[in-house]
Amino acid sequence: MKPRFAMLAGSAVTLVGLLAGCGGGSVGSSQNNAGNPASSTKGVTIRVVLANHPWTDGIKKLLPDFESKTGIHVNLESYGETQLTQKLTTEFTSGNSDIDVFAQRPLQEARLFVQNGWYQDLNGYVKDQQKTPTDWQYNDFFPSALQTENVNGTLTGIPIVVEHEVLYYRKDLFAKANLQPPKTIDELVTDAQKLTDKSHGIYGFVARGDRQASVTQFSSFLYSYGGDWFDQQTKKATLNTPEAIQAFETYGKLLKDYGPPGTLNMSWPQAAAVFAQGKAAMWTDADSVFQNVTDPSKSQVAQNVGIAKFPAGPKGSIPYSVTSWGLSIPKTAPHKDAAWQFIVWATSPDTVKKLQTGSSPVPGARASLWNDEDMKSFPSDWVAAAKASADGRPYDRPLVVQVGQARDIIGTVIDTGIQGGDVTAAASSANQQFQQLLDTEKK
Amino acid sequence: MASLKRRSGLGRVGFWALLIFILLIFMSPFLWMLLNSLKTPIQIITLPPSFWFKPTLSNYSNVFEQQEFGKFFINSLAIGVGSTFFGLLLGLPAAYAIARYNQGRLATLILLARMIPGISLLIPWFIMFRALHLTDTYLALILTHMLVGVPFIVWVMIPFFEAIPKELDEAGRVDGGSTLQVFLHVILPISGPGIVTASIMAFIYSWNNFMFSVVLAANNTKTLPVAIYNFISYAQIDWGGLMAAAVVITLPVLIIAILTQRFIVAGLTAGAVKG
Repeated sequence: MKPRFAMLAGSAVTLVGLLAGCGGGSVGSSQNNAGNPASSTKGVTIRVVLANHPWTDGIKKLLPDFESKTGIHVNLESYGETQLTQKLTTEFTSGNSDIDVFAQRPLQEARLFVQNGWYQDLNGYVKDQQKTPTDWQYNDFFPSALQTENVNGTLTGIPIVVEHEVLYYRKDLFAKANLQPPKTIDELVTDAQKLTDKSHGIYGFVARGDRQASVTQFSSFLYSYGGDWFDQQTKKATLNTPEAIQAFETYGKLLKDYGPPGTLNMSWPQAAAVFAQGKAAMWTDADSVFQNVTDPSKSQVAQNVGIAKFPAGPKGSIPYSVTSWGLSIPKTAPHKDAAWQFIVWATSPDTVKKLQTGSSPVPGARASLWNDEDMKSFPSDWVAAAKASADGRPYDRPLVVQVGQARDIIGTVIDTGIQGGDVTAAASSANQQFQQLLDTEKK
Repeated sequence: MASLKRRSGLGRVGFWALLIFILLIFMSPFLWMLLNSLKTPIQIITLPPSFWFKPTLSNYSNVFEQQEFGKFFINSLAIGVGSTFFGLLLGLPAAYAIARYNQGRLATLILLARMIPGISLLIPWFIMFRALHLTDTYLALILTHMLVGVPFIVWVMIPFFEAIPKELDEAGRVDGGSTLQVFLHVILPISGPGIVTASIMAFIYSWNNFMFSVVLAANNTKTLPVAIYNFISYAQIDWGGLMAAAVVITLPVLIIAILTQRFIVAGLTAGAVKG
């Protein structure tokens, strides 16, 4: 706090601290300019809790702009993904948190958080022209990204990073075998077979096989075969439909016959390592992990990585297209207006543009900024593949409250496929369990 | 021991070979960590892993310069030393009283604190510390770490005090010492090995504690086990930095253990009664 505020704010700090049970010496106030929304937040310190993420690194560097423009001081913390969840749930459960802004993974947590009433619904802020300048352009966000953030009518957050599933492939191996990157899943399977050369340690395909982690990257296979996790209208589980079983079988076969050993323990870091070592010809995963294989300091095959849209199944190519991270305001936030000002600034076209073109580029959720000029920090085939996926499904895992349990149930079927077991039987028993889970969540 | 000296050269070779073999098995994770902390990202993922490579110190400079681990190191140290010190202050007299006055039930009660899953304490603690304006302070973390440190200390020290003959206490009383004086001037000076063992355990526990720190610490008091996650970012993992940070975290504990190990062994064999 600036010294000249100290006296004025001193008594206010004590008072507000006592009333709200939240001091931390951060409550600056200035009663003298009430009425003007911009200046009434001046001198306030907001607590912003984020995840370890390139986006966080980027925004950290831009923070001085925001602080000098608004007079709001930002106290930024960042944690690993699971630590963040632990911290947030503990603080919110206590009902006594002083977090003003937090980063959330809408698909993993939002349903639980909504059920617990932990969000400030942002719909009101977006529509309020006093609080939200018109040049912020809410309609510029990708519709699927906003849909991910929307849970039963509550706008839980503003998207900051979007993600799609894409196909990574080795240009050199495909050229040597005189093949084109696959346009369909059928071609993917035959190409994987042709490119597998186990005697030289080259595998046609690699992807996640870890029970929990594999579910999201399996989702695009499921959708493209015409399947889904459950029928959103009737709340009936659909894990044992012929389409779903076909998807489970294909994914399992790809990893069993053409994948490297040990895929059952692979999440993205392991799969990325196999691909970066030059041991795999194709890899399907999120577009957000591309630097692990295209950065020459991390990948032995950086020069030869091609990126393409997810191949088409019988129902076409339907990759997921989601908001992986968003910014939210908790219901208990002590400084909601200042928090909203921070979010508006952090997701404004100007800031998003800087983040996309900065040293640790992050793909933002604004459609107008996905042109060649503003995406020049990304490989051109990456941009093309991600852009073509923008209208994909707005979810990469079932939209339920108990996401972890659902992923466990589904992952068991995926793993049965990889081990060459009876997928049909596994799918129908998983379907039953999943139905029970859905029933418990029905209100 | 004497027979070992008379063994043939071949026997000795066999002994050392076996020793190195077993050590290698136990030390391999540590060696792996050490090697990878000196490698570039591309060297780390190279298969088969190379043991001869041009080492880089960039991971370590990353740990201390970009991630400012010095700060987290000081936080961990202050909390570890603080919780151990105050743990001893409370735990030593408690253990002495329990040992001398046969308060077995009290000992069980203290152990109970150790049995409660820490995670169930997090929310009440958070509410309490928020109300007291103590979140993100050393005091909050020292207090919570003591919850596990004190039972450790008490339970290590009870059998130790029990093994000290009562005659020593009595001799002290005959010379005119109060209970406190006997404890301070007679019992504590010969309890060095026990205190060292208990302190090391309490300190290591605090040093490695993650769960309490992640919830109750924020920017000002972040400890090393929480900070190591700075190297795991969404969609990116800096393995080299992670390994270097792990070495930085392990090293102090290792050094303390090696240095004090001699003291523990020496103390245990010295014998209190003869003196």
